[in-house]
Amino acid sequence: MNIGLYPKIAYEGMRKNGKLYIPYCITCILMVAIYYIVHFLAFSGVLIGIPGASTAVQMLGFGVYVITIFSAIFLFYTQSTLIKGRKKEFGLYSVLGMNKNNLGMIIFYETIMTWIAAIFGGLILGIGMSKVAELGFTRMIAAPVNYDFRISTDSVLHTIGTFTVIFLLIWLNTIRQIKFSSAIELVRSEKAGEKPPKANWFIGSLGVIVLGAGYVLAIRIQQPISALFGFFIAVVLVIVGTYLVLIAGSVLLCRILQKNKDYYYKTNHFVSVSSMAYRMKRNGAGLASICILLTIVLVILSSTSVLFNNSEYCLTVRYPNEIGAFACTYGYDENLTDLGERLDDILYEAAEAHGATVTNNKTYYTYSISGYLENDVLQVTLDSLSDMTFIDYDKVAQIQFIDVGLYNRVFGYNETVEPGKAIVGTANDITLGDTLIIGDSTFEVSKRIDDRIDEIDPASKIAVSPTIYMIVDDVEEVAQNYIQYQDYNGEPMLAWYWYCRFDTGLDVDGQIAVANDLSAILNEELGPLNFTNYYCDSHENQRTDFLSTFGGLMFLGILLSTIFLVSCVLIIYYKQISEGFEDKSRFEIMQKVGMTREDIKKSINSQMLTVFLIPIVFACAHLFMALPIIHKLLMLMGFMNMPMLVATASVCVVICAVFYAAIYKVTSNAYYKIVS
Amino acid sequence: MSLLEVSGVKKIYKTRFGGQSVEALKNVNFTVEKGEFVAIMGESGSGKTTLLNILAALDKATSGTVILDGMDVGKIKESQMAKFRRDNMGYVFQDFNLLDTFSLEDNIYLPLVLAGKKHAEMKSRLDEIAEPLGITNLLKKYPYEVSGGQKQRAAVARALITGPRIILADEPTGALDSKSSDELLDLFTKVNQMGQTVLMVTHSTKAASHASRVMFIKDGVIFHQIYKGDSTDTELYQKISDTLTLLAQGGDLK
Repeated sequence: MNIGLYPKIAYEGMRKNGKLYIPYCITCILMVAIYYIVHFLAFSGVLIGIPGASTAVQMLGFGVYVITIFSAIFLFYTQSTLIKGRKKEFGLYSVLGMNKNNLGMIIFYETIMTWIAAIFGGLILGIGMSKVAELGFTRMIAAPVNYDFRISTDSVLHTIGTFTVIFLLIWLNTIRQIKFSSAIELVRSEKAGEKPPKANWFIGSLGVIVLGAGYVLAIRIQQPISALFGFFIAVVLVIVGTYLVLIAGSVLLCRILQKNKDYYYKTNHFVSVSSMAYRMKRNGAGLASICILLTIVLVILSSTSVLFNNSEYCLTVRYPNEIGAFACTYGYDENLTDLGERLDDILYEAAEAHGATVTNNKTYYTYSISGYLENDVLQVTLDSLSDMTFIDYDKVAQIQFIDVGLYNRVFGYNETVEPGKAIVGTANDITLGDTLIIGDSTFEVSKRIDDRIDEIDPASKIAVSPTIYMIVDDVEEVAQNYIQYQDYNGEPMLAWYWYCRFDTGLDVDGQIAVANDLSAILNEELGPLNFTNYYCDSHENQRTDFLSTFGGLMFLGILLSTIFLVSCVLIIYYKQISEGFEDKSRFEIMQKVGMTREDIKKSINSQMLTVFLIPIVFACAHLFMALPIIHKLLMLMGFMNMPMLVATASVCVVICAVFYAAIYKVTSNAYYKIVS
Repeated sequence: MSLLEVSGVKKIYKTRFGGQSVEALKNVNFTVEKGEFVAIMGESGSGKTTLLNILAALDKATSGTVILDGMDVGKIKESQMAKFRRDNMGYVFQDFNLLDTFSLEDNIYLPLVLAGKKHAEMKSRLDEIAEPLGITNLLKKYPYEVSGGQKQRAAVARALITGPRIILADEPTGALDSKSSDELLDLFTKVNQMGQTVLMVTHSTKAASHASRVMFIKDGVIFHQIYKGDSTDTELYQKISDTLTLLAQGGDLK
């Protein structure tokens, strides 16, 4: 047989079934594009250097896996429904004398053609979109705009590799389907009438259990740093659970409804319940895919937009006063206290030279030590922190020692502390006993000032690891106990922090000018010394930075959401069209038996409404269950406001629901046109 | 007054571009009395299915009237049509037209569910007819699980369950083997003896021989009719064969 014949047959076959193949190809292209974009954003390093982006990058990195699993399941399912409609054609070919290998060749060429279209179309789209993303992003964060096309070879190769494997599996699966049926079975397959879906208690309940386990895992995760792995497991469980529940669980539900005679034998329920049992068997996977896409959209949209909304709050926490400055050095030096006092004076003078009236001055210095905190004992030994790769971040805590004299002077109290005792406060969610052992020294807790921590540093409550403030009798003496501790690099563990913040009473430009001046002074004073980090900035200057960072993330969120929503639209359209063709004859019969057009319309509406509400209801449930963990992940970016997260998530749900309803309306018209 | 009065029914099909028109029915006149079992016979293309579709209000006549129990079928509004059909007629199709998403029981219930009947009432109606139709054991099965004859019996049950004024059957034996055909025809006879009016369209002499009256349609008009009277099925079969032979030879029976 002529070799050129197979590609021709394959091409003609696809062209004749264009109504189904075109949406399928577009779906494939979109999947490839999504994969490329997410992979590109996660691994090409475009986002590196943007504060807060590291979490986004990490999330995107595991998003790549989620998308791989998702596209595999989804394309598999779509293709198998496609091939079902073509079995008759294949049967005819085999009746006409083609053997299974010949059919395999046709399917091979079809798969290859789809593969080429998907990879090329998807990559071109993906590269284009990633450029748009990059441009928008750099605009938002005010970085220099670069109009070169940046193509990540690594991402391209990964995309090609992943989808080649997926298409190979799809091809093998189709071959399997054709191999195990005789020519006459193929010819008849369309007419044979479908077996009624059986209620599968095992898979149905398994789905509920897996989904439940995913939810429980998501809710129970406590610490944001260790959360990412757990989150990944939870996501996989929820995806698998959604598929199982929607495929098997919903059939089960329909069967249970059918048992209830009074409910079932009603005009409104009769047709919809029984055809839904069929529909869910065939299209449960499609619904699950829609549901998962919607969930992804909701999660991305609500988390990025809440960060954007929250940037002002975040700014206030980080820069509570108009001017903020910070310096840090390691080790103990008796001159540091003097340096602190001197810096204070210099800054004051410099600020006043700009005409500022310094108020709300909260300038202080602390000695700080970090280690594992367990049972009120802080281990700062070399062993525990020697190996950075095995650090258990959940246990790390930071202690900041403040001299009681300084504390009283700056914050306006009249506390006294005896040697060996300490006034202790923390804004984090940790429990502390009456005695704290820090390194080799023991401190008795004479008083707790947890409610006053905001005065010392409002940012400590959004810190990743807990900070414990200890007001001690003589900070110099305490600090000397910790000189000997060194980290794995041989650097001292003890650190000296200098915090400075005050208001100036100047306008925006004045504040920025003061901050710039102070920055220069710090540079002059601390540059020559052994300081690891120092800066001075103004609230107003930071506002632009914060807005651009979170704005950039939000832009990214909207971009990704749009892509996901578009693919959602295609899935829905595809579903409607293919169902329409399937249902056509069914509704013809019903009309002959005496169903009015209105009945049909009503039945279609109620069916589609139920079927279409399912994904969004499930997506909302998923989002709701994910909120605690989203909140914890957002804490890494300084977000603390749970009610605001809930409110933003609700708004996102409403927006998506409206959009979804519009798609539903349009596609159901397409469906109705086919059916009637 | 007759149950069904058909007078002057004419049906003209226009080809899609309005060019040629085909006259499927020229001028059909007949009546059916209550309790009759009437067969309409004719060659393919003689217009018998068109006639049945007009009787069942699935299609509109170009002119003429169809009056069922005093109601003019042609004047029923489009919106009321489905309800009218559901309440007054039972239709048995050549290819069964059972829904594969329903069990046989639910297929039979369908018209009643559409009419908004209570489940208890549906059940008692089904119990009445299931036994004589011999489908009691099949009710829980799905169409794909049963044979053609069994499907057609379920379809008859679906037509009967609403207690229609008339049953219209379009080549009911067309898709059945001869044994199933016999069983089904006996069933129609039985149903007819219970008082049900049946109008069947067929080209099978065997099927027609079960009727109490056979009408012959040719070139869009009722050409001839035979009453069974006291003759047996076999005798009627013979008469029909003779008539058909004459028809084929183009002989004049009048």
